[in-house]
Amino acid sequence: MTLDALTRAMVCIVAVAALSGCGSGPPSAAELAALKPADGRLAGLYEHSCKACHATPGSGAPLVHDHDAWAPRWAKGLPTLRDHAILGFQAMPAGGQCAVCTPTDYERLIRFMADQEDK
Amino acid sequence: MKVSRRAALFAAGAGAVVVGAGAVGVSVAEYDPPEPAAPPATDASGHIVWRNWSGIRHSYPKSRVAPASEDELAHILKTGPAPIRAVGAGHSFMPLVPTDGTLLSLDALAGVTAVDGDEATVWAGTRLGDLGPALASRGRAMANLPDINKQSLGGALGTATHGTGKHLRAIHGDVTALRLATVDGNIVDCSKDKNPDLFDAARVSLGSLGIVVQARLKTIPSRRLHRRVWLEPFEETLAAAEQRWATHRNFEFYAVPFTGLAANITHDETDEPARPRGPETDSQFLEALKALRNLFSFSNPVRRAAARLLLASSEANPEEAVDDGWKLLSTERPVRFNEMEFHLPANAQLAALREVVETIERERHDVFFPIETRRIAPDDAWLSPFQGGPRGSIAVHTYYKDEYEFLFQLIEPILRRHGGRPHWGKLNSLKGADFAALYPRWKDFLALRRSLDPDGRLLNDYLKGIFLA
Repeated sequence: MTLDALTRAMVCIVAVAALSGCGSGPPSAAELAALKPADGRLAGLYEHSCKACHATPGSGAPLVHDHDAWAPRWAKGLPTLRDHAILGFQAMPAGGQCAVCTPTDYERLIRFMADQEDK
Repeated sequence: MKVSRRAALFAAGAGAVVVGAGAVGVSVAEYDPPEPAAPPATDASGHIVWRNWSGIRHSYPKSRVAPASEDELAHILKTGPAPIRAVGAGHSFMPLVPTDGTLLSLDALAGVTAVDGDEATVWAGTRLGDLGPALASRGRAMANLPDINKQSLGGALGTATHGTGKHLRAIHGDVTALRLATVDGNIVDCSKDKNPDLFDAARVSLGSLGIVVQARLKTIPSRRLHRRVWLEPFEETLAAAEQRWATHRNFEFYAVPFTGLAANITHDETDEPARPRGPETDSQFLEALKALRNLFSFSNPVRRAAARLLLASSEANPEEAVDDGWKLLSTERPVRFNEMEFHLPANAQLAALREVVETIERERHDVFFPIETRRIAPDDAWLSPFQGGPRGSIAVHTYYKDEYEFLFQLIEPILRRHGGRPHWGKLNSLKGADFAALYPRWKDFLALRRSLDPDGRLLNDYLKGIFLA
């Protein structure tokens, strides 16, 4: 069902918001492939559970270190983002389907993907 | 945002529809139901919730573990709180995973351990999306892949996950050997030559005999595939479907309800230079179909006319790509859904599909997801839905925010009447006696399960219901 022309056009019609919001753009494909948390355990969790969507353009997820995509989300506050991650929200499946992540892990993973590790 | 000339034509035609309805029309078109109610993030004991991908299943496991070795896994199986349930990507819609005991991830047991000739030995925690590039780097490929590639190999085998292709088996059909960790703390090897009954039972076993640790898979030389996607009238697709399954390496189609159209997808081997597929746009297509539902569900003829107006150009312009098979056969599915899929005798598939589409268009105007139609070659695993002959699958999806109970009331009876067996991971209401009537080796499977796990340490409530009732 990959009907590029159709889908792009339909988005113009039914999702006015889709026509706005051009920003500085996400990281390059090489950056997306290479980015990972410095901590080894956290990097493992990211590689297994987050990267499949958050480093894949078009997945619907805010891409890792895509500041334009993360800014409005970060504004909601870390506790809200953590709860969305644990319970699932919109395209985000519950827990990112990470079977062994703790609430603290989710907060650290969100900070990493939003490039807010120093906050 | 780039909009092609063809897209601009769509925009002009579709614009008239929404402009005519004004701001209210735009608001109605964009309406999205509220997020379904979520369970508490933690239970009274502080255990964090686990939910499946679509959100309809949940539990609060006491223990969450990701063993990094076979020894560690064996120890957990012997001593961990029961029920012990393995989880991969959580893509099953049936309650296969929920446990208040041990939630077991094999994420730390992932990767290709060896390639010997045309066979690869793979850890069961390997995600299918990672297996493609890992095999490609060795010049090999899986013969087929499912529509979604986020699943772990173990989860895909356990639920008989499949792709499409008249001459291509489900993933477990290409397994030549397994290593199974059992609840007594042992690791058992099985194949057609060694423990053959266990091999035939364990290839599709829902994590109920033990935990599959490794699988040896038949592979093929890595080849590029030519992908072609096009829209045409549904009736033309029905008339050509058997011939397309016979002539294309992979063929599937999606009946698009309330449009009179079907989206066809073929893949064939080629030596053409790569022409990569563009960004994923299916979720936007679904948004468009949802908008048509929101605007025109009061009238099937109006909804159909609006859809045909918008889709006219696409009917004449197929989309094409050439790339490695692992890059083309699976698709990103960022829009969550719930799903019922049954596997029917091949000669009953198209008649059943016609009945399903007619029923949805008559009874359920809220449905907008296309209906997926695939073909799978037979294999001989005891609990394989494809055991005994070729099967044709019909999969009905509902948006994760929409009601899905109608699948049991309206769709399941049609699919069962046509001889269907349910996908093990997808919505169905069958009980043990129903499965016993569908699977000739059901009793043998139950006996083997009892011998391997007499105390039911691997059984959650759902599995007790079908295996012990």
